Amino acid sequence: MSVRSIVLVVLLTVCGSHQVQAQFLHPKIKANETTIRRVVVLPAKVNVVRDSMKGPEGMAAESDELSLRVEKMVAEVLSKKKNVATLPAAAPSAEGDAEQKYNVADFQTKFDELLPKIMKKRSDVKKGRFSMGDEVLNLNLEKGADAVVFIRGEGKKLTSGKTAFRLLVGGVPAYLRLQIGIVDARNGEVLLYTDPIFTGDPTTAVDRLRKALEKSFKKLPEVKGQ
Amino acid sequence: MTKVTIIGPCLVLEILRAMFPHKPTSLIVAALCFCIVFTSSGPVTLAQKKTAPAEATPPPVREQFKFGEVDLEVLEQADLLDTRFERDGLVLVDESANAFLRRVGQSLVPRDLELEKVSWKFRALRDPQPNAFALPNGSIYVTTGLLTLIDNESQLAAIIAHELTHVMRRHTYVYNRSNRKKFLSMNVMAAIGAFAPGGVVGAVITIVTTVAPFIMMATIYGYSRDLEREADLKGIDMMISAEYAPEEMVNVMKLLDKDLEGENIRLFYNDHPSLDERIKYLSGYLGARADRVTHQMELNRERAAYFRTMESVMRHDLQLAIKAGRARSAVYLAQRLVEFHDDSENLFWLAESYRTLGPRTPQLTEKQLTNSAMKDAAKKSVKRTVEEEERELLATPAGKENWERHQQLAEQFYRRALNAENPAPVAHRGLGMLYEKLERGTDAVAEYEKYLELSPSAIDRVRIQRRIEALKEKLK
Repeated sequence: MSVRSIVLVVLLTVCGSHQVQAQFLHPKIKANETTIRRVVVLPAKVNVVRDSMKGPEGMAAESDELSLRVEKMVAEVLSKKKNVATLPAAAPSAEGDAEQKYNVADFQTKFDELLPKIMKKRSDVKKGRFSMGDEVLNLNLEKGADAVVFIRGEGKKLTSGKTAFRLLVGGVPAYLRLQIGIVDARNGEVLLYTDPIFTGDPTTAVDRLRKALEKSFKKLPEVKGQ
Repeated sequence: MTKVTIIGPCLVLEILRAMFPHKPTSLIVAALCFCIVFTSSGPVTLAQKKTAPAEATPPPVREQFKFGEVDLEVLEQADLLDTRFERDGLVLVDESANAFLRRVGQSLVPRDLELEKVSWKFRALRDPQPNAFALPNGSIYVTTGLLTLIDNESQLAAIIAHELTHVMRRHTYVYNRSNRKKFLSMNVMAAIGAFAPGGVVGAVITIVTTVAPFIMMATIYGYSRDLEREADLKGIDMMISAEYAPEEMVNVMKLLDKDLEGENIRLFYNDHPSLDERIKYLSGYLGARADRVTHQMELNRERAAYFRTMESVMRHDLQLAIKAGRARSAVYLAQRLVEFHDDSENLFWLAESYRTLGPRTPQLTEKQLTNSAMKDAAKKSVKRTVEEEERELLATPAGKENWERHQQLAEQFYRRALNAENPAPVAHRGLGMLYEKLERGTDAVAEYEKYLELSPSAIDRVRIQRRIEALKEKLK
């Protein structure tokens, strides 16, 4: 067995047997200077691919379904466990349809732009280093919204052939990894960042997803008397 | 063993960090790099085949193409991609621009041509990075970045003709079939994951990667050299048939060679044959085939007509470029636009571009364009936020000098925009932001208030009101 094979098998075995959750809170949240009572959850962008023996294949329909499920589950977990209410995102006005659509799309991509910087040093969220700026106000959210939730995710489902191959040779298991950022709706500061990961078929493992989400918001203070 | 390359080095590294919080990261990184290098090197070399001679171009349509199950899956993914681009706000809703694209595209498609499972669509994509690609279902996308960079209709025809050939010759299917055998995708996907840019520029890539990995490789990152060459040469034939200036194909290549932002990984035409090589074989082919060289005056007329048609797209692209932090491109493109038509809105965009440029140099130096310097810059950009980068530059005398000069230019162009006919109210907002940065609070408030007075239903009304309140609080 070559050196690279040994290294990979060790890495993937370790990855396959654990669930990892990390969460980082802005100092304002920790110090209770800011409380997240009401949020607007923007459409999640979770993508899964099917890994077959002939390489990865797209799963567009399943990805859309999963995105919707994750989005709803995040709102549910925030509501049930943290007493945080979810407000609907503002519907685009008839005359400004395209402009509003572009606005949301551009703000979503602005988060994508910031994401690699956050991931580079996630712990800096605790120093309040990351912000998306006051452009967040251009989203024209409902007046009571305290924060905006961004959800990204990537996952992999294995075909039966690939699963069998993995059992024989080893390799990365099916998994889902989410990246969730909660951003202040008034000034764009990143208030919370968490990235739950779990192994298992991302399209069917509903309970694992819920548990992973519950764990990932553990540090977020619960809202009293909403 | 190649699986780790699909999952992406970042994810594995994150997992490892969580698993081994006290282990040295460098060791893990080294191990990963080792794996990736070993798993990537083989198949990539397989793709670098010798190129075919330039003389003969094949017939426009790949006859006797039989759709298999795998091809139908690719087709389904292509249809889903169209839906996603629209849903995610990436398709530009500009009827006149899309109608223009349609007209140019349809003029290139041979008459009476009917292709199985192809329905031609020509659309502009909201992406400031110059690019164009075709999906096998007949959807041709040209980014606003490319539409803004080119000079005339013939250049647009050159781009579309190239993409049309990929569809007519069924290149996506051919390439997909070939790649499934080679497993090349795994390695290419790993490279994409590692180097794809974020933000507006990365949005298209992210969608295509996840919806249709194979289409990703073929349509955006380039087919094999042979297929690209075929598309270039066939494109010239199609341009001549449609009476477009064929030499503009060469000029497009030259435009694509500009590297205003110093992006070390130029994603789009990068994996095609090198631009130098393309210019060389296209010129050779054109020399043998062209029976006309378009008169410069004719091209100038075409340029003016093209700019008139695309002016709104160009403005939209400037906005995207500024949002994506591509300030150097924004200045370059806004200058072109103002040279063509110095109305209030175009002057406003030039002012905005200079304000965004801030302490940066307007052009990259030779040294900054070396591969190692560009790699360093790319690494740094992930480590720093835009604000941190600006602060660092402002701490240097050169950065400070640039900042002062660009703020002056911005103010000058905002003023010109406001003095022009039909002044754009947004110029007041721009001035407000400029003065706020210069700590001229009272002036900033006055400009912001003027903006809100002139645009009471502006989409950023709440944002500007908050700024006014904060400034007034500060001034007390």
